[in-house]
Amino acid sequence: MDPLDRYLNNLSKLLPAAERDDIIRELSEDIQSEMEEKREKLGRSLTDQEQIDLLSRRGNPLKVAAAYQQEHRSLAFGRQWIGPVLFPFYIRVLTFNLSLTFFILTVVFAALYFGGQTVHLADVFSNFLLQIVLQFTAVTVIFSLIERHLSKYPGHWNTQQVRALHLPRVEKTVREVSRFESVSIIVASAVALIWIQAVWSHLFLIFGPAASFLRLAPIWHQIYWPTVAIILASMLRATINLARPDWIRFRAVSRVLFDAAGLVLLYFLIRAQYWVVLAGEAENQTAGKAHMLQVVNQWTYFALWIAAAVAIAETVGHLIRLVRTIHGPSAAGI
Amino acid sequence: MTHSPDNSALLENLRLELRRGSLIVAVLAGLRSEQYGYTLRKALSDQGMEIEEGTLYPLLRRLETQGLLLSEWREADKRNKRFYRLSPSGAEVLEKLLAEWKAIDASLDQIVKG
Repeated sequence: MDPLDRYLNNLSKLLPAAERDDIIRELSEDIQSEMEEKREKLGRSLTDQEQIDLLSRRGNPLKVAAAYQQEHRSLAFGRQWIGPVLFPFYIRVLTFNLSLTFFILTVVFAALYFGGQTVHLADVFSNFLLQIVLQFTAVTVIFSLIERHLSKYPGHWNTQQVRALHLPRVEKTVREVSRFESVSIIVASAVALIWIQAVWSHLFLIFGPAASFLRLAPIWHQIYWPTVAIILASMLRATINLARPDWIRFRAVSRVLFDAAGLVLLYFLIRAQYWVVLAGEAENQTAGKAHMLQVVNQWTYFALWIAAAVAIAETVGHLIRLVRTIHGPSAAGI
Repeated sequence: MTHSPDNSALLENLRLELRRGSLIVAVLAGLRSEQYGYTLRKALSDQGMEIEEGTLYPLLRRLETQGLLLSEWREADKRNKRFYRLSPSGAEVLEKLLAEWKAIDASLDQIVKG
């Protein structure tokens, strides 16, 4: 696959599905016309590097794709908060966060219902609405800060830095951490930290009405600070890579270390055997509540094993990349 | 109280705003004769109207959706290219836009001369 095919292949993933083939066909023709003109001028074929330079000059693929997004969707209150370039990613992050939260809430409410508790529609509605407001606010604020940064420093999206975004599969020439990846990790980590803090002090955010009689088991208190430390370290790593995208070995090593730390936490979590406990005195613990507790713990057990399987697969993938990075050339040697 | 805005950024924004409407007129006028994207871009550039491909192609698609342009894929120089031309409705709109532009130009000229 030559640089042009790789470029179009990567760009196509960001385009609206209905028009994807047509846009790619037209852009391909335009690029080939430009390459042909350059070939004629030079009197020889273009080298891979010359082709990459020509593709890089076309700008950030996020921006190229955003120009084709219907109606230039954006989020604006008075002035534009999140522009068309970031908007698709804003929607993806928001959808992911809300889906995860809704899944947890659905499990809790289902457990409440099957545990024999009365579930009021108003409780369900208010909990889901609260989650929408909280997630929307947190994600929107973070993305609007990034939007402001990008608007203020548009030059930061220069051809050197977006090369990894353009052509992530050109192993011999692309030796940089993409700026988008670093920004995504910073945003996702910030949202995760806010969410953890919010849940920690307001259990109803995760348990809904069951927060009156459910508590987090001691294991969560034990892993709280290590979890926060891993998230902060990931943010720090992404920030460093934002400034030094050429430090790919640093990224590869850090990722494996964080993966290992995450697996250790998961090991202790799974070993804990129960993750939610009943609050209050024993005499207040009805059979219905106890049954519900059993359902929640059972679901948590399955969820943790799924998380462990995903984490192991990811760690193996990162390890393979680390080995390749160590054996391959690095721009800065770090 | 005085403000010291970043004039270069401000100027760039204003320039882009000014160019945005002009680009549509330039593209419609450039397509009075049939062309494909790359030759249109070159023709506009040769006449001092630089336009990035990231701006041109989405604009062409939009103008076609609005019924102002017609397009068809055809083989030329051993490759398939998409040729665009002005539709009858596009020709009408262009004439009106050109008249509007001339009126604005005349008014501005008078205003600037005081």
